[in-house]
Amino acid sequence: MSFILNTGRTIRQGSYVERKNTPAYREEASTLYMHEVDMLDREIESGDHVRVESTQGAVVMRVLPAAWLSRGEVFVCLGPYANHLVGAETHCTGMPDFKDTPVNITPTDAPLVSVADLMEQCGGVRYEG
Amino acid sequence: MKVEDVVCPFCGCLCDDLVVEVEGTRVVSVENGCTLANEKFLGDNRLTSPIRRAGGAWQQVSYEEAIEETAAILLDADRPLLYGWSGTHGEAQSIGVHLGELLGALIDNTSTVCHGPSIMAIQEVGHPGCTLGQVKNRADVVVYWGTNPIDAHPRHMSRYTTFADGFFLTDAFLERKVIVVDVRKSESANIADEFVKIEPGGDYAVLAALRAIVRGKRSLIPSFVSGVSREQLFRVADTLLGAKFGAIFFGLGLTMSRGRYKNVRNAIELTAELNRHTKWTISPMRGHWNVYGSNEVFTWISGYPYAVDFARGIAFYNPGETTSVDVLRRGECDACLVVASDPGAHFPRACAEHLARIPTVQIDPHVNATTHLARLQIPVAVTGIDAEGTAYRMDGVPIRTRKLFTGRYPSDTDVLMKIYDRVKEEKGHG
Repeated sequence: MSFILNTGRTIRQGSYVERKNTPAYREEASTLYMHEVDMLDREIESGDHVRVESTQGAVVMRVLPAAWLSRGEVFVCLGPYANHLVGAETHCTGMPDFKDTPVNITPTDAPLVSVADLMEQCGGVRYEG
Repeated sequence: MKVEDVVCPFCGCLCDDLVVEVEGTRVVSVENGCTLANEKFLGDNRLTSPIRRAGGAWQQVSYEEAIEETAAILLDADRPLLYGWSGTHGEAQSIGVHLGELLGALIDNTSTVCHGPSIMAIQEVGHPGCTLGQVKNRADVVVYWGTNPIDAHPRHMSRYTTFADGFFLTDAFLERKVIVVDVRKSESANIADEFVKIEPGGDYAVLAALRAIVRGKRSLIPSFVSGVSREQLFRVADTLLGAKFGAIFFGLGLTMSRGRYKNVRNAIELTAELNRHTKWTISPMRGHWNVYGSNEVFTWISGYPYAVDFARGIAFYNPGETTSVDVLRRGECDACLVVASDPGAHFPRACAEHLARIPTVQIDPHVNATTHLARLQIPVAVTGIDAEGTAYRMDGVPIRTRKLFTGRYPSDTDVLMKIYDRVKEEKGHG
């Protein structure tokens, strides 16, 4: 795996947290922040879609540059997109590896999926969105 | 109608100085609130009536049917999980714990994926904390470790630290020194006096190095500790030791990263070391509104703050075994009642998959990710907007929230009491 996925609150994620089936929430929760030099290395432009894959699964995200990250680290706000990649192992603490998930990232032309799509992949039935 | 001194129902700051204008059953404006508060009060994405999943479609049902079906699902289960509780008031949490005991269920709150490890550390070494008022009036050095208040607690700095003048600090912005420690240069790091950038997973080592320096062992420190230079560590330690009153606030950067509760234990023990020289306190940045209250309510009834398992007929607590993520990962629970939270969005995928497999009932005002996984959802009033009740601020201060208008939704307490009564009747205790 080539990157470490870190997750956390962003104010935009918090703003849309009670409208999770809206395009605004989807846009924020599926944004992956990456160091500019890593983007250059992988020939990824700002706004490009990438396939992010961990040992748990894969999900399409949109990349934005972030000078505030170190190389080799990527950041996604907490939510169903990041959690599609995070494993449920808690190392006997109750807490999964929300800040420490190894991922592979490859450019893709695939579209972003909605929260309802992700929940359907988990076995749910879409109510809206 | 304008209502003054309104308590915000979003994060653990519970800001109590909002002015909210209400027209009928709608909030039309919010003063003094941050972006998160404005969105919370002005949001209009309520589920309008209870819904039930029937095959591959959804249908509306009455509250009576929904409550009856919820009680039946819980009574039919061998290993029910009652999860969430942080977005509601203490009175509803209390009914939840009693319901858990009656059912022999496992009840857990959102601290399980938040500050649960902080509680484990506090159980090992104690908690030298204080109220936010003490910090505002006294702290001349503030450390934010693994937390980004500008995004997660937007008014923390303006009400209590960087920009808040206090009794002993009349020009706080100039007199208070703020240190931010993080693996990334967050918005909060941008306005700090000193930013300490740590390599991911390096918190424990940096805390240990600071403890060694405070104990006078400077010669033991290597040139770099987890990406932090010896010179910066000495400078930070001198700032900590030079404080008249210092306050450490820590976030999920410690509880979710490698080391978990041992990171927090080391931070508490650094605070203890500093208290041999001057006055220091340490406090978790509680995120989800009344999560602190859920720990209080669970503890005063069961003796344990979260992950409480009543399956043995007595309260049993063992994080890593009785915590929700572990129980769902093992596919152990056969029904789930979700109250005032969204595990579909905030638990790992494997847990969401299990929630979809079992009968999951959600009691929540809004359509969220868990809605798609549930069999049944019962909409309720939002505590602090159209329901009242008691909530705890992140520093353990209980605050009574008020009802701004009487709407058409029952409160969490109303719905849970009816479910409790129905279960009690069936169990033969009626």
